[in-house]
This record gives sequence, C-alpha cells and structure tokens, in this order.
Amino acid sequence: MKRLLQGVVTIWFIATSTFVAMHNVPGNPLLDEKAVSPEIRRNLEARYGLDRPVFPDQYLTYMRNILRGDFGISFTQRNRRVNDILREHFPVSAILGILAIVFAGFGGILFGSLTAVYRNRLPDVVIMVLVVVGISVPGFVFAALAQLGIVGLNEVLGWTVLPVAGWGTLRHLIIPSLVLGLGTMAFLTRLMRSSMLDVLGADYIRTARSKGLPPTRIFFRHQLANASLPVLTVLGPAIAAITTGGFVVELIFAIPGLGRYFVEAVQQLDYTVIMGTTVFYGTFLVVMVLVVDLAYALVDPRVRLE
Amino acid sequence: MNALLSIENLSVEFDTHGGVVHAVRDVSLAAYPGETVAVVGESGCGKTVTFQSVMGLIPMPPGRITAGEVTWRGDRMHLGRSAGRDLRGTEIGMIFQDPMSSLNPTMRIGDQIAEPLQVHRGKSRRQALSQAVSLLDQARIHAPERCAKQYPFELSGGMLQRAMIAMAIACEPAMLIADEPTTALDVTIQSDILDLLADLQQRKGMTIVLVTHDLGVVARVADRVAVMYAGQIVESGTVDDVFYRPAHPYTVGLKAALPARSIDPGRDLEPIAGTPPDLFAPPAGCGYFMRCPRAMRVCEGHPPDLVSLEAGHVSRCWLHHDYAADVSLDQA
Ligand SMILES: Nc1ncnc2c1ncn2[C@@H]1O[C@H](COP(=O)(O)OP(=O)(O)OP(=O)(O)O)[C@@H](O)[C@H]1O
Ligand code: SF4
Ligand SMILES: [Mg+2]
Repeated sequence: MKRLLQGVVTIWFIATSTFVAMHNVPGNPLLDEKAVSPEIRRNLEARYGLDRPVFPDQYLTYMRNILRGDFGISFTQRNRRVNDILREHFPVSAILGILAIVFAGFGGILFGSLTAVYRNRLPDVVIMVLVVVGISVPGFVFAALAQLGIVGLNEVLGWTVLPVAGWGTLRHLIIPSLVLGLGTMAFLTRLMRSSMLDVLGADYIRTARSKGLPPTRIFFRHQLANASLPVLTVLGPAIAAITTGGFVVELIFAIPGLGRYFVEAVQQLDYTVIMGTTVFYGTFLVVMVLVVDLAYALVDPRVRLE
Repeated sequence: MNALLSIENLSVEFDTHGGVVHAVRDVSLAAYPGETVAVVGESGCGKTVTFQSVMGLIPMPPGRITAGEVTWRGDRMHLGRSAGRDLRGTEIGMIFQDPMSSLNPTMRIGDQIAEPLQVHRGKSRRQALSQAVSLLDQARIHAPERCAKQYPFELSGGMLQRAMIAMAIACEPAMLIADEPTTALDVTIQSDILDLLADLQQRKGMTIVLVTHDLGVVARVADRVAVMYAGQIVESGTVDDVFYRPAHPYTVGLKAALPARSIDPGRDLEPIAGTPPDLFAPPAGCGYFMRCPRAMRVCEGHPPDLVSLEAGHVSRCWLHHDYAADVSLDQA
C-alpha cells in the first residue's frame, strides 16, 4: 500500500516536471516559420487552452487529461492523437523490450552460472572478458557492428539471412533485441556469478549433497533457485535500462517503436507527444518496478510485502 | 562384530595460497553397529574434514585425499569427489554445526525433509510430505504440520536442528554423523538435542558418530571416544578408558579443563595454554610438544606411535614407550 502511494507520487512528480520543463523550453510550436493564419492560431490556442494562464488553468487541464488517460493531439502529425501513437507504437517497443529482457535474464543466469561453476577456468575467463566489453561499450556501437555483421553475412551467403533493419517478421526482431539486451545481460552475468559463487559454498548446498540428491536436482532446486534471487531484485532497473536503450536501437534499426517517435518528437518540439510519452514511460516503469517487487516477494519467502 | 564404517590411515590435504594444509594425518577409526562414537578435539583439528572427506563433501580441489582406505559394511569405498554418494541420505545421514545456514532458506521445511524420500524411496510429493510431518513429530517438534509449512527463517536454532535431524533420519540410515550438533545452540537446548539423538538411536538402532569439542558431552552419550589433535588421533578407547583413565597428556589437559557442572555449566573454556601447531608444516615430532607439560627431548624430533595400553585403548605418546622412563631420566 505504501509502495502504491510512492508510485503515485512518483508519477505525479514525473508529470509535473515534464509540464514545467515543456513550458520553459524555448520555442513555440505555433510561432513557426510556417505561417499559420491568425484564425487557425486562435482556434488552436483555444483548443489547447493556450490563451489561458499557465498556472493553474493549463496545469489543471493537463492533469485532468492525464487522469482521464488523454494525452491530446500531436502538434506535428496531422490529426493524430497521442493516445493513438502510444497504442500503435508501444506494442512494438514492448515486444522488442520483452525479448531483450528475456534474453538478458536467461543469458545472465546461464552465463553467470557457467562462470561460477567453471570459476577461474577457461569458460569463466572468456565470458568475464566479454562481460567487461558488454558493460563498457555503449549499445549503439554493438548495433552498428551487428548491422555490419549482418551485411557481411548476407553477402557471403548470397541471400538475406537476416534483414539489416526494419520491422515486420520474426527475423527482424532477433538482432535488435539481442543488441538491446546485451549490456543488461553482461551486467546480470556479473551479478549472477557472484551470487552463484556465494551459493555454491553455502552450508545448505552441503546439506543437499549430504542427502544424496542427484547433482541436477541440487543445481536447479537449491543452487539456481537461490542464486537467481539477486538477479530478480535488479530486474526493475534492468527494465528501465532496456527501455531507454530501446530509443537508440529503434532509431538505428528503423523500428517503428515508441522510442523512435519520442526522439523524433523531441527534435520537432512536438509537446504533446513528448509529454505523453514521458508520462506514459514513467508510469510504465513505476508499474514494472512494483510488479518486480511483488514477484520478488512471491519467490523469496523472507520478504513479505504488507 | 564387524565395523559398519572403518577408516584406515586417512590423510587429507588442502592446497591454499599459503601452502598445503595437512588437515588430516593418518587417521584410523571404526564405528560399530548401534554404538555412539565420539570424536573430540579443539577447533581446527580435522574432525569435520575427516568425515566430510569420507562422504565426498569437501571441495576438491582444493581438497585432496592423499592416503587411506575406507570400508562400509566391509566393502571398500571409492574415495574422491563422489565418495559416499550411494550412501548419502540412505545409509548415512548427516547433521551439521550451524542449523541456521544448513537449510535452504527459500524452501519449506517439509519439502526439504520430503526430498530424500522422493529421491531415494520414490515417494510422491504428497506421501513424502505426510511422512515429513511424522518425522518432525519424531524429532519432537510440537506442531509438526505447521512446522512443515514454514521456512527456515521462521524457526529457532533448536527447532531447525530438530528439522535437520528429521531430514537426516528420513530414509532410516544405519549411521548418523552429527558434526557438533549443539555447538551453535543455547545450553538449555543442547541437552534436549542430545537426549533426542540418544532416544532415536535406541529406537532405530542407529550408529551415531558425534563430533564435538566438549568432553563433557562425550562422557554423557558416547560408548567409545577418539581424541584428535592437529589432524591426528592421539587417544582412543571406551568412554571409561578415555574419560576416566586418560593416558595422553592432551586428554588429561582437556579433562582438567572441564568446568565443574555445578559451578558454571555453560562455560566454554580455552583451557590448555598455547595454540595447536601450524598444519602447513606439521611438527616433525609429537604435535602436542609445544604445549605438553610432560614433553621430553625425544618428543620434539620423533613422532610417537599409537601404543596399545589395554584392549582397545590406544594413545600416541612417548610416555607409554618402554624406554620412557629412561628418556625422561635422560632429560632430567
Ligand atoms: N576448504 C578448505 N580449504 C583449506 N583448508 C581447509 C578447508 N577446510 C578445512 N581446512 C583446514 O583443515 C583443518 C581442519 O578443519 P576442520 O574443519 O576439520 O576442523 P574441526 O576439527 O572440524 O574444527 P571445528 O571444531 O572448528 O569445526 C583446519 O586447519 C582448516 O583450516
Ligand atoms: S609424546 Fe611427548 S610431547 Fe607428545 S604428548 Fe607425549 S609426552 Fe607430550
Ligand atoms: Mg568442524
């Protein structure tokens, strides 16, 4: 309950600061070099309430609309409501993001376990070097490298194994989601390695062995189950990282996701779209963090949410 | 009678950054059906390593069994990473020093007790769980149904150790190895746990190996005793021999250091002056030389052998040697 309240306050804060920021950036969408006739301008101003004082009138309208789930109409795209943009393009981002997080989560747990089990031996050394690369090299570098790689691959094989960019089929999804999940996966691998090492030396693992359980059962029921818990705790921030990383990846791979629209909206000072997406993403992340916390409480009996 | 478990000339080493730790040196020990064997000694003398290496529970590497032969019911056991795998949980149950950390924190107690029954006895989860409840009851837990549904963090140390016992005896093992089962517990609970073990042994005819550093506990429950020092067995025999007629200066020192129960029952003494020798480079002579009040010149450079004093009572000390009198005169 307390968390829920915190979440609501966070969302309110995001909405308000977005509002303040938007009203303080230089520029005005209606005072463009493109001539807008005074009549249209007056109509628009009235429609958006721009003729009234910023506070409290505009702010209250803004808040009321947000509560109703109405983010208004795009300034630059003719006749498109922000809600429609969200509805159309968020699923694209979501599919990409979910794939990336699944990939990062499974990869992190798998590689983290491997490095711990083969501690200080070849697999560990190789993977940990890659992890450092994955954490320190920014995502757009991987994106560019991946595109180069795909081009090379397609050329060598003489047919299009994987598309370089675009959207539509499953094959379009693979590389962008891998690239998007890479940094998070590297981070999770490192986390998983240390927590798995802790678990491997734990007394209760010795107990499990003293019970004569088969190694696979010990691994899955006792080691993996406990070592994965820390990974779950950082899943909230991981989702946030992947969400923001998605902006860049969507641009580079020309994926019609929400991230790309957000970047374009910022470039074009499309206020309603910026505010709408910011508030939407903010809410989304707050909800995700809550969901992750709840999931954690379900998995770890020592944590109980009131 | 044939020994159930017999350890002969076992030596175990660990590779560490500081060098090779000679944790167990030439240890021989046997446990017979139905008896309680106690292994006593100070912290770090190799009690735990002895039994965990037999059961394949020490990490290898860095651990290494360098010598020795172990037999179970007369059959030679394979010693290595998978030592004792066929015996674990079925023939031999184990409980450990720290019950708080010895149970899986994210698994219900009942499920943990049910696990060996599912794996070794092919029981369904439901059958195994209901048997887990009756095992908890046998371990004298008052509300066994409730306990089975709880997680380790919800129970006290004493309760957890009972749960551990219930788990260890789930498949009716012939032997229970209890490695300092009461060290981490309150004094008041210690005797409850010891009573429980004694009672279970009576009813199930189990052999119990009790590892402890409390000679007082030994006198109470053991049939036979082995005293360990610096990786070696320095004296062993029946509880009467070792406790009431100690022959080795170390055992004598341990006994002298026992607090009188009436004065201060819970007192944990660090009785004998000095510390055990460095196991990186075990001394050439007697391991106890540096602390022994009766040390002689011969003790420093020559390791004493185990000398048989009476039937089944042995002690590793030059004092028992035929020439001892001469040697001590020599020193005087
Ligand atoms: N994994 C390991 N790596 C290196 N050395 C070890 C390892 N396990 C045990 N040892 C060493 O082996 C020696 C014997 O340890 P052991 O745990 O058997 O002592 P113990 O008699 O059981 O003592 P305690 O009463 O504290 O349980 C110690 O000196 C310890 O440092
Ligand atoms: S051999 Fe010597 S030093 Fe060792 S216990 Fe006997 S008398 Fe003491
Ligand atoms: Mg020990």
